[in-house]
Amino acid sequence: MPNTRTSPASAEAGRGYRLALQQLTDSALPTGAFAHSLGFETYIHRGLVHDEATFGTWLHAFVAQQLTYSDALAMRFLYDGAELAGLDAHLSAQLLPRQLREASTKMGGRLIEIGTEVFPSAELEAYRTLVSGGRAAGHQPLAFAVVAHSLEVPFEEALAAYLFATVTSLTQNAVRAIPLGQNAGQRVLRGAHDAVAAAVGQVRHLGWDDFGAVSPGLEISQMRHERQRARMFMS
Amino acid sequence: MVNPGGAYLGADLYTVDVEVEAGASLLLTTQSATKIYRTPGSYAEQRMSLVLGEGAQLELAPDQLIAYREASYRQNTHITVHPASSLLMAEVITPGWSPDGSSFRYEELRLRNEIHVAGTDGDGTHGTELLALDNLLIRPPLGDVTGMGFMEGFSHLGSLIVVDDRVDQALADELNALTAGRDAYTGVSLTDTVSGTTGLILRSLSNSTEELNHVLGACTALLRERWYGQAPLNLRKY
Repeated sequence: MPNTRTSPASAEAGRGYRLALQQLTDSALPTGAFAHSLGFETYIHRGLVHDEATFGTWLHAFVAQQLTYSDALAMRFLYDGAELAGLDAHLSAQLLPRQLREASTKMGGRLIEIGTEVFPSAELEAYRTLVSGGRAAGHQPLAFAVVAHSLEVPFEEALAAYLFATVTSLTQNAVRAIPLGQNAGQRVLRGAHDAVAAAVGQVRHLGWDDFGAVSPGLEISQMRHERQRARMFMS
Repeated sequence: MVNPGGAYLGADLYTVDVEVEAGASLLLTTQSATKIYRTPGSYAEQRMSLVLGEGAQLELAPDQLIAYREASYRQNTHITVHPASSLLMAEVITPGWSPDGSSFRYEELRLRNEIHVAGTDGDGTHGTELLALDNLLIRPPLGDVTGMGFMEGFSHLGSLIVVDDRVDQALADELNALTAGRDAYTGVSLTDTVSGTTGLILRSLSNSTEELNHVLGACTALLRERWYGQAPLNLRKY
């Protein structure tokens, strides 16, 4: 059969990437996500995020803004074939709050290391070389997209998995920090399904002019975290 | 700069090209607020290109932006600085104007600043490096833009961008301290250092243009005095 999409070998490959994707999005993947609130700790400090409902409101805004206009769009441009070093530089330039930029490159660096050991590919090696040569910073969404692309994970599947993994680690961090009950955390995650699906749908309609259009409120809160005295998180 | 015809209208395109040559300094402001009237089925657009030579100094201090009901506006500013030039730009965006007094009745505002640093060889043939991409998109018809995670309950947005090789963490902390006590929610952070120069971004949310002008004015006054020995900006336009 010429149509390889339906061949048994391809179905096998599909099952192969599913386990890989599960490993990459498991919250036990040691990228250090437990150390980052990506700005919500500022809202806790101001008393604005204090329970399941208020954290849910913040999380929806974060998915619709930060994750859509920055992470998801970066991943789509990579899948569309954009030049990697230029895309990496765009991410560094548009992540204006310093701690967000550092969080992205810290977790990105770990993801590149782990990926190199367990899912090596020429694409990932090329990114690793750019980063070690100082020609790229090594951002988390790009590292994830490079590995997912090398494993032939379809874009929307990779994106939904990445977004939900980020939402999951943020929610686990909120469960510890606010604190919330474990079941409340699970309800927040269930409630975030629609936000993730909306982000996956939205990113199809966005272009380069939209890249980095994160709301001022989220950015100011991320910037203010730099000067917050008592804090549990690095961002 | 004189805002033509009183306001921007649909399908208007204004292009502004400014080059501040080596060693020169320029203060660029507007004659009055930039107003965007209704732009049914279209949008008004401004494309600005700013190039700063070695040792050049540019202060960009336009009046506030006001988008009327059913207005769409795109502002693209492309800036190329020299590693040894100095850029200061401040901007205030209001919640717009509508006949019934309600806020955020415009369709869409896009303001995008792209800042590059020119290669240090100075022969103009080498590429530039991207320093900062400051992108703002507000589309009130698509959902609530006033609440937590967007405008945080405030109505006005101010922003200050400084690019200079004297920008460092101590300056960021100092400007941040200047904003304390104001009725505004403000954050300050730094870009990466690219070719020896660094960007400082200050964003501030408040409920009035006046309050934001105080916040931004206090910061620019400090920099004008310290770096150029100039008095605080007083344009006496009104």
